Amino acid sequence: MSLFVRSRARRSRRGTIIVESALVLLALVWFIPVYYLIVTTLKTAKNATDSPLGWPDPIMVSNYAAAWERMQYPRAFLNTAFISVTSVALVILLGGLAGYAIARSRTKAGPRFFLLFLSGLVVPFQMNIISLFSIVKHLGLMNTPWAVILVNVAINLPQAVFLLKEFICATVPIELEEAADIDGCSVPTKFFRIVFPLLKPVVATLAIITTLNVWNEFLIPLLFLQTRDRGVILQEVARNIGQFSTDWTAMFPMMMLGVLPLVIFYIFMQKYIIAGVAAGGLKG
Amino acid sequence: MLSGRGSKPGSLGKYFYLFLLPALAVFLTFSILPFAFTVYYSFTDYTDMNLKNLNFVGLDNYVKALATPLMRKAILNSVIYAFCMTGLQILVALPLAVLVNLKLKTRNFLRAVFFFPAVFSALIVGYLWSYILSSSNYGLVNNLLSGLGLDTFHFFGPKTALGSVILSQIWQWAGWAMVIFLANLQSVPQELYEAADIDGASKVKQFFHVTLPLMAPSVKIIAITSLIGGLKVFDIIYAMTKGGPGDTTETVMTVMLRHGVSKGFYGVGAAFGVMFFIVVIAISASVTKLMGKWSAAIS
Repeated sequence: MSLFVRSRARRSRRGTIIVESALVLLALVWFIPVYYLIVTTLKTAKNATDSPLGWPDPIMVSNYAAAWERMQYPRAFLNTAFISVTSVALVILLGGLAGYAIARSRTKAGPRFFLLFLSGLVVPFQMNIISLFSIVKHLGLMNTPWAVILVNVAINLPQAVFLLKEFICATVPIELEEAADIDGCSVPTKFFRIVFPLLKPVVATLAIITTLNVWNEFLIPLLFLQTRDRGVILQEVARNIGQFSTDWTAMFPMMMLGVLPLVIFYIFMQKYIIAGVAAGGLKG
Repeated sequence: MLSGRGSKPGSLGKYFYLFLLPALAVFLTFSILPFAFTVYYSFTDYTDMNLKNLNFVGLDNYVKALATPLMRKAILNSVIYAFCMTGLQILVALPLAVLVNLKLKTRNFLRAVFFFPAVFSALIVGYLWSYILSSSNYGLVNNLLSGLGLDTFHFFGPKTALGSVILSQIWQWAGWAMVIFLANLQSVPQELYEAADIDGASKVKQFFHVTLPLMAPSVKIIAITSLIGGLKVFDIIYAMTKGGPGDTTETVMTVMLRHGVSKGFYGVGAAFGVMFFIVVIAISASVTKLMGKWSAAIS
């Protein structure tokens, strides 16, 4: 019996090694497009055609300098960063306030507003681009970052309200707030001093998911930001790739500069990003 | 129980509305109001030539939209794209998640690599893959194929272009789905596998009889989000094919943008949007129902 068990264990260990090697191989294949992107940014056109997957020879760092200038990178980066940071902050702040109000409501109004927000999850904003266009125009927000920010906030709020409300109901003890009531805390003090700090895990999840959504959003800036000085990074990539489509070594550094900020974010925050997506995904 | 209305311990009083108001204002102005206007415009003769005096035209815009071959083709393409991309993504990600969930030494490395493409913007993934699959002399795949003495393959022909777009999106999103499946797998109690081991069930049998039934929640989430995401696909098409060749990769969003916004057929565009919404709701509802049946059949 024990012999049987041991041989079975050994067999399964050997099986695991085979599976693991196959998976590592698959992961390397999966990585080829990224590797191809990186090495091509540093090549001459001829070098890239002759050996697409080889190591760059000579290494052309100057490709990046050209791309940096053509994309007006610092300006595009700052526009994107302002839109992303403001949108994420507003989603968390507005979502937190509303989620808290709904979670602590003791009348029927709470669940009703909750349903209203949840309805946003099934309405794809894309169907509304024509009316969004005219609303943004009438509010005088056309060609301002605020058009992009507010539309992004509206798109991301339903998920935020949902996750925050559920988290508050499940984990923030009401006794804590009752104690604060006895101490004479006002509602805002209670929210910002006691409740909000307890929301860290779900706020992290939301910050990560919303950052990915907003930073990578292309359609909304395309609709609302019409002059180049207001544009975001992705618009620069699209504009330049259209313009220099024959000079293709110039394009890879542009694509690289386009993804670089989030790649750096990913390299440093990888564990949290994956955990955040898993947490947000399973509930959302 | 002790005190009157509004002053119950823990209740918010006037702050209920004060806290709700900012979120509500943004949500109403930029989600609910646009939705209402879209429905309204879809019944009017709103165009870029007629911005002010909107007349009620009944179902004209819907009839027009359905009579336009391009719009029918776009809806069909979006539906094909959404289903293929969702099905294949689950077929790739589910076994991948189960294997990565074995107690592997490289587990974190594998997870990080497979998830990586999900942080890229779909637009840039589109440009990258259009170079990888290009037929000109620098296209990576065709360059390698001809290097091996094989025939090159035309990835952006009328019959292949949509498939190439789907391929790039499987590459981008399979890791995302895998991460969500992994989180679900971790909640499957180990005792179930031990029991199955004692019964002498093979690993493959265990996958179909123990693992798969318990994966219903995460499969449902991926199926619905990916179907809806697939129906509104835009960036990747914009970067890879621009709807071509011909109309073989036109989708709801590429047509809505060109026809509804740029060409100024606002009423027809709005009707197209409403029909798109109905398709989204119908598909989400039937998938939810189907998955409910799956869960019910198992338990």
